[in-house]
Amino acid sequence: MSTLMKGNFTPAQAVESAPQQADSLEQRFEKEALKKLGGSIAFVAKKKVLWGDEVDNQDATE
Amino acid sequence: MTAHSQRAAQQTGGHPDKQADKQPGGPLARQLVDHMGAITRERIQAVALENAARNLAAIRNGNSLRELRKQTLGHGDKAIVLAAGPSLKRQQVAKQLKAAAYRGAIIATESSMLYCLRHDIVPDLVITVDPHAKRIVRWFGDTALTQADLDADDYFTRQDMDRSFADELRANEEIIALLDRYGKRMRIAVSSSAAPEVVQRATETGMDVYWWNPMYDDPDCDDSITRQLFETNRLPCVNAGGNVGTAAWMMAHAVLGKQQVAVTGMDFGYYAETPYLNTQYYYEAVALVGEERLDEIFTHIFNPHMQQWFYTDPAYLWYRECFLQLVADAQCTTYNCTEGGILFGEHIEFAPLQKFLDRE
Repeated sequence: MSTLMKGNFTPAQAVESAPQQADSLEQRFEKEALKKLGGSIAFVAKKKVLWGDEVDNQDATE
Repeated sequence: MTAHSQRAAQQTGGHPDKQADKQPGGPLARQLVDHMGAITRERIQAVALENAARNLAAIRNGNSLRELRKQTLGHGDKAIVLAAGPSLKRQQVAKQLKAAAYRGAIIATESSMLYCLRHDIVPDLVITVDPHAKRIVRWFGDTALTQADLDADDYFTRQDMDRSFADELRANEEIIALLDRYGKRMRIAVSSSAAPEVVQRATETGMDVYWWNPMYDDPDCDDSITRQLFETNRLPCVNAGGNVGTAAWMMAHAVLGKQQVAVTGMDFGYYAETPYLNTQYYYEAVALVGEERLDEIFTHIFNPHMQQWFYTDPAYLWYRECFLQLVADAQCTTYNCTEGGILFGEHIEFAPLQKFLDRE
């Protein structure tokens, strides 16, 4: 694979790829904390009940 | 105010200036509330849908919430929701209900079941929705609870909800015994998102189970997850409003058709003297901003009806905002008889429970 991806020209200046920044300990804490925040279940604006039967379809998803 | 007393106030959630009418809370709190829908989805949706798949056989053999619409729960057009906020005990809700010989419907969150049963109140309907496997089953009595579970999670010992849960093993044994005794007399609206462990406890105690789906998104939209779930299990889909208390209120009017609905124990916040440690997301808050900046997470709100300060975290503040949206379109009169907390605003009649009980 590395052979296939090899370029066919030489750049005028050496290119240095930026090293990938690993998350700091603090960032990892924050990500974990955010995962545990939040409500118990979703909220959907402007909706009540979807009964899904013919009789109540008029107020189905008000 | 001295630096010391200010610090003490911060650590207990107490507002540093009781005379101020502003509502502090850093921009971070606001940011979190604004993203709470997405944060919640990230946290619960996958496990909730996985639970729904695991519950499918039980759902197909059980009752739909539609069946509940055909039943009369309680006398008249009144319903009282009992949620497990700190005011439930402080305001002695059970004592007031008994003294008034209240005969309307009683709808309890699963988290307030122990309180109800301890006071010989058998709810007409119990609601459960949160998909958490280990925590929610505790409200039903966890027959598999181990010391290792307790060591791994101090949620119940810290919470300012039902303090009796602080003595965890004893409370667990008590709720197991109470549910074994009263389960057969109770109906429960179980969300398809509930953990199978919760379903098993509800079923083995003889509770009469009625299934429903919580809404995850607008079922009228293309590629709606709610719609897909409905197509799979054919259960009615109810907007749970982010939490079990709001789901209980929704059941009272949109499912049971009650016209006068009172909520109790629906604080959505903490009394000013409650230590931050006793709030639901204390560890997560500390991980996010550190101990010194906790005031950026919590929002202090002056309740004009109570003439008292309360404080709240981003999740509860989000619940409040969701509720205020839903109540604006509700086909019932909503009374907040919590007598504490932060849930007040347009379309909510904030009143003492006694006043609601005295109404015809």
